Amino acid sequence: MNYTFQFGVAFDVLPQLLEGAVLTFQMGVVTFAGGSILGLFFAALKTYGNRPLRGLAQAYVVFFTNTPALIQIYFLYFGLPEFGILWDNFVCVMIGLILNSGAYLTEIMRAGFLSVRATEMEAAEALGFNRLQQIRHVIVPHIAKTIYPALANFFIVILVMGTSIGAVVGVDELTGQAINLSTENYRWLEMFTVAAGLYVILTLVASIALALFGRWAFRVKAKVF
Amino acid sequence: MPHLDIIDLNASYGSVGVLKGVNLSVERGEVVSLVGPSGSGKSTLLRVLVGLTPPSGGRIVVDGTTIDYRSKSSLKAARDRMAIVFQQYNLFQNMDVMRNVTIAPVQIKGRQRAEVEADATKILARMGLADKHHSYPDQLSGGQQQRVALARALALKPEILLLDEVTSALDPELVNEVLDAIRALAAEGMTMLIVSHEMAFVKEVSSKVVMMDKGQVVEAGPPREIIDAPKTDRAKEFFGKILRH
Ligand SMILES: Nc1ncnc2c1ncn2[C@@H]1O[C@H](COP(=O)(O)OP(=O)(O)OP(=O)(O)O)[C@@H](O)[C@H]1O
Ligand SMILES: [Mg+2]
Repeated sequence: MNYTFQFGVAFDVLPQLLEGAVLTFQMGVVTFAGGSILGLFFAALKTYGNRPLRGLAQAYVVFFTNTPALIQIYFLYFGLPEFGILWDNFVCVMIGLILNSGAYLTEIMRAGFLSVRATEMEAAEALGFNRLQQIRHVIVPHIAKTIYPALANFFIVILVMGTSIGAVVGVDELTGQAINLSTENYRWLEMFTVAAGLYVILTLVASIALALFGRWAFRVKAKVF
Repeated sequence: MPHLDIIDLNASYGSVGVLKGVNLSVERGEVVSLVGPSGSGKSTLLRVLVGLTPPSGGRIVVDGTTIDYRSKSSLKAARDRMAIVFQQYNLFQNMDVMRNVTIAPVQIKGRQRAEVEADATKILARMGLADKHHSYPDQLSGGQQQRVALARALALKPEILLLDEVTSALDPELVNEVLDAIRALAAEGMTMLIVSHEMAFVKEVSSKVVMMDKGQVVEAGPPREIIDAPKTDRAKEFFGKILRH
């Protein structure tokens, strides 16, 4: 063990790693937003759809939760060109991540749909709410509150585990940036230590922000730590 | 002209008839109590009135206007004039008291929030909930929740209040606070149709008692006649059972 940790090198590349961290965060947010829309859509199909629609939603969930995200992205990146579809690496990663997280989010959202109380809906109806107003004022806030902790956890999973897959096909998010830099300067240990530190900071900040937001918006009694 | 006139009303769940030709009228400012054994159709009658269960025959006339429950605008008009309070309160769990009370007037009637909140503040004070504006339903006792439900119904300024066993889910010591609120409304001349098992209260507050059985009205009249001296065997049996409790 005669490796000397060179803080100077780590400090020099900090701006590039920070750039990677910003991209990681952006990818996490976009994946989560896209996945949530897909999840809401398929959860509605699964809960309120007829047989074929329920089957479709179920097939989507089973396929994407039972194969690794990495393989799904490889398929988009290396497989689709065989069919004449050429997307750049970033697009493939984002589509793959969104499809994959959408499947998990379908299951989370469905739990929310099932938790809406019929009696509250009736009360709303008797007060004169139409269907759309019921969805907007009763169903969505209720679902949001019920599944918020699960959603917040899932966001962290995407942020740490999801986005780093991008590195494999050359997206320069935090992990990718750390690989790039260390192939240039051979300071692997420094690069990955700093990258790991940045991941910890990212998730810590995100967790605290999400917990505080949940307390404020939904009275979710989430632990900040 | 009666404030609320129910004429030969029929309703069914699937193929099972639940209301079989109900006739009943409520005058303006009158309190009418519906009593009868479990399953006789009391709740269903109130649900039909506010359009939660569709009628399959007969007529409902409010202040001279027949309501067409298949027409959205007519149904909306009916819900403007009649408000229902349920046994289980059915408050919106994710909203605080103030929002529970103001959401319908603001979002549905499109009234100014400030004005609605001023109104709600008065109503809540009358319900003894002046210090609970920002509490959530799960932080309140059953009696408090039921008074919020009453306030929520009153905020829409209904002409006719429908109360379905609003004290049945409450602990005995909480029943009176809700009954007091209803007494006050009755004294102010609110037209009410009440389903209740509290016979002493029914006797005290209502000008007419209607006994239902198997989807039909068996007897109707002033409380002293119906409760103390029922004529039909069915009513004798029912009140005999209740009063022995
Ligand atoms: N959603 C429903 N689907 C099918 N049948 C129902 C439904 N709701 C009520 N019923 C039936 O309709 C009949 C009348 O029920 P309703 O609730 O109106 O009685 P009730 O007089 O209010 O009784 P209780 O005193 O127990 O509240 C009962 O036989 C009941 O089983
Ligand atoms: Mg009932």
